[in-house]
Amino acid sequence: MGKIDELDIIEVQRAPSPSTGASFFRAFRETGRGLATTFKQLFQKPLTMQYPEEKTPVYPRFRGRHKLHKFEDSDLEKCVGCSLCAAACPADCIRVVAAENDPDNRVSAGERYAAVYEINMSRCIFCGYCEVACPFDAITMGHDYELSDFNRSDLIFTKEMLLADPIERTPLRNEDE
Amino acid sequence: MPRPEENIITLTVDGRDIQAVDGAMLVDAAAGGDIEIPVFCYEPKLGGPVGACRMCLVEIEGIPKLQTACSTPVKDGMVVHTQTDRVKEAQNSVVEFILLNHPLDCPVCDKGGECPLQDVSFGYGRGVSRFTEPKRHFVKPLALSPLIAIDRERCILCYRCVRFSQEISEDHQLVLLERGAATFVSTFDGHPYVAPFSGNIIELCPVGALTSRAYRFRARPWDIEGSGTVCNLCPAQCNVTLTVRDDRVLRVLARDNEGVDDGWLCDKGRFAYQATHSDERITQPLVRDGDRLRPATWERAIQVASGVARHDGAVGAIVGGETTNEEALLLGNYLRNTLGSNDIDSRDGGALSAGLLRALADPKIQATVPDLEYAHTVLLLDVDPVDDAPVLDLRIRKGARRNDMQVLVASSRPTALDPRAAQAVRHAPGSAASMVLALDAALNGDGAAGTHAANAGADGAEVRALVEALEQSGEDIVIVVGERVTDGPAGEAAGQALLRIAAKLGLGERDGAGILEIPRGTNGRGLREVGAVPTAGPGLADLATAGRSSTEIATAAAAGDITALWLVHTDPVRDSQNKDLWIKAIAKAGLVIAHASTLSPELAEHANVVFPAESGAEREGTITHPDGRVQRLRKAIGAPEQVKPAGAVIARIAEIGSSVDLGASVGPAATEAVARAVPFYEHLTAEEIGGRGIRWQEREAAANLQPGSSTGETVAPQPAASPNGALRLGTFRSIWASPEVEISPALKFLSRTPSAELSPEDAQRLGVTNGNSVEVAGVSATARIRSDVPTGNVFIESGVAGGASLPADGELVEVKPR
Repeated sequence: MGKIDELDIIEVQRAPSPSTGASFFRAFRETGRGLATTFKQLFQKPLTMQYPEEKTPVYPRFRGRHKLHKFEDSDLEKCVGCSLCAAACPADCIRVVAAENDPDNRVSAGERYAAVYEINMSRCIFCGYCEVACPFDAITMGHDYELSDFNRSDLIFTKEMLLADPIERTPLRNEDE
Repeated sequence: MPRPEENIITLTVDGRDIQAVDGAMLVDAAAGGDIEIPVFCYEPKLGGPVGACRMCLVEIEGIPKLQTACSTPVKDGMVVHTQTDRVKEAQNSVVEFILLNHPLDCPVCDKGGECPLQDVSFGYGRGVSRFTEPKRHFVKPLALSPLIAIDRERCILCYRCVRFSQEISEDHQLVLLERGAATFVSTFDGHPYVAPFSGNIIELCPVGALTSRAYRFRARPWDIEGSGTVCNLCPAQCNVTLTVRDDRVLRVLARDNEGVDDGWLCDKGRFAYQATHSDERITQPLVRDGDRLRPATWERAIQVASGVARHDGAVGAIVGGETTNEEALLLGNYLRNTLGSNDIDSRDGGALSAGLLRALADPKIQATVPDLEYAHTVLLLDVDPVDDAPVLDLRIRKGARRNDMQVLVASSRPTALDPRAAQAVRHAPGSAASMVLALDAALNGDGAAGTHAANAGADGAEVRALVEALEQSGEDIVIVVGERVTDGPAGEAAGQALLRIAAKLGLGERDGAGILEIPRGTNGRGLREVGAVPTAGPGLADLATAGRSSTEIATAAAAGDITALWLVHTDPVRDSQNKDLWIKAIAKAGLVIAHASTLSPELAEHANVVFPAESGAEREGTITHPDGRVQRLRKAIGAPEQVKPAGAVIARIAEIGSSVDLGASVGPAATEAVARAVPFYEHLTAEEIGGRGIRWQEREAAANLQPGSSTGETVAPQPAASPNGALRLGTFRSIWASPEVEISPALKFLSRTPSAELSPEDAQRLGVTNGNSVEVAGVSATARIRSDVPTGNVFIESGVAGGASLPADGELVEVKPR
């Protein structure tokens, strides 16, 4: 260590030492504000929902579990297995294998039908692009969001599961809600 | 016809200066300058433009009306506009017009996603149609053939398929019926369109009107991956792209290679991929257990096969045409260096001396495939391209149609190219060697020509006329030689005569002239060059002692001199004419090892161990085209679990049986081993071969081929027998006579049954009508009466499942109605 240069010495400027009252106020003002909010909420009706007994209602255009549709009059599947949903899918979770319709035993209205239609729900991001891409309105997004399971492979939904009438267990939100 | 000279000119398209070949069509010239002009009917592969669809209308300065760019040749200084309002209005209107009757069923259509009509409508259409009237309706979908579905509603009448049928394959089956809006594509009388090249129209169709029934609804373009490889079902070795989905081959598309296939495929190449996924294919090792083959573990199979080491000096190997260079080299090395045997063969017709093989491989006298299109004359010597290397048939037709090439034929059986030929000379079956000697003698003005012609059972005057046509046609002559020419004891003499003909005609002095030898097996040329022949080692090198040829191996095995037979990708019971000899051979041999996908019943009865063979889509390695182009087979899909590469199996057997390390057995390292072993493949790597292959004659290393001359013993060919009530036997193998066809569901309807072709005169004399069952040399066959079969001959189809043993070609056989 050499000799300290005179120019290196800086005089530290300090604030005037605060009074006791002022420092108390500074330390507990924000805490008090927070506690006030808490105490206010104590007298409010609770927002907690008793899930799964109670469920959050969803808006009509909520994008939940997919549904495949049939024509109501002829009971033929609307899906022709064109794979456009699989092409549109950003998560690559749809797999379609098409096959040719037997004219005597039709599955769909067109020449082809989906022999295999699988959606891997553990990969799906529920973007709804499949619904947009479908030229026959064969796939739509439903309201069900309860998709957890104990096994990954059970989350691959087959055509039969998607065609079956879904259990409507999710309440819809009313207009004014 | 020498290749046309190319004169470069400059034209202006959309304000940009573009260099193009004078006379090229405007569409191509613009594409060369990165300007896209939409087209439907234009396809340069189909020959001249037709201007049927009007999609390519452009504005050319100085011409008041819009012009079709596909049929307007460019000239220097032309100024073209493709983006003006007039052009856009025309394009919009044409798209709207084409879509009037087009059912917009894209989600159902197989073409959807890879459809030029979709692309053009999207790029150049108005987006809406004013047409509200009902569209035209046809019954759909209909089967145009068992392979092709036709949907006439989707057809936009571009004429592509009809032009293909009329002008490329020249089967003249497809036509447009009716007129105006009612026009539709069909065969004239509605019969199914079955032809060797019919599948190409599926690929040509710019809409989904013609679709493959085998691929129908299997996948969409975004589900699949393309994987380029080479078809290994025949010596034409067409370049293909396999369509793969979920590790399964679903479709085969052509991969245009001007030097090999010109962008066409035969139906076998296009549909026989199904054999890969057939249930009938062998997919696990089988080991003999008592009287039958049973599935076994790999360890057990290798252990049984490694018993081959105990048959030291008494091992014979037959290498089938599908074997790659790498596999054949490994097997040859093991046999020659460790097992002390030179008895390895890949040909069926007897051995030629190494010197002759080298002389025939001389780079100077090799013709290339494109030479078939630009030559002055193509001479076919006992070869029918449509059966032996199908896609070359289209190439020769192209040359004859577009370049006025002269086609000459000298063969025993009438060929498909006869109607195209200026002259077709027939000789007796099995007498091709005499025919070549006659041609040689006639070229040299030798008096022996008449004798040789008589020996060949041919007309001397016809032979002289053929030679005259050959001499007067121009310098570029390509001689296409079938393997039958060098078959038998007289093969050596025929080979020498062939070399003399080549020298006399000066084939070595010109680039566009030469000899193109079509082997029977896919990789016949490569197998010969890596030493899978009894007389030559790798690189066609001389051997101290020559081994035995395939027939000699069979004879020795039947006599007990050879005790172990190794059959790599071949089933001689099926492929060889002398079935009985082979059955005796495999029954007598102590150890029969087979690498196979399917087995004939006889081989299944006698083989000791069978290794499942990889299919073409699963195989890796190099094969050599008949014109010397080394091409790469690339793995497109994973093989079934129990299927291993033949190279690895051979190496493992050597390791277990003889404790020998054969070196790299698969992959690029094995290719390098081939390049080290064959002097004229020196330094050849997988990278250099690339996707298009490379002709070894065009590389520097070609100079490493030692010059050679025939050292073999020449045997004069036997004179052809004269039919005295009995008929001369000839054989042919149709492209459909293969196990792949039989186990592919789509092609099954084409699989062959034994048939006998007779001339109408002989048929009448014998009291046989078409379709009757006849007995030929104790074998029953269905009679087919063909007017172009020369009298006194009967042609039996070989290579057919369930076919029987036959005498050699040219022998007299009794034909009796049954």
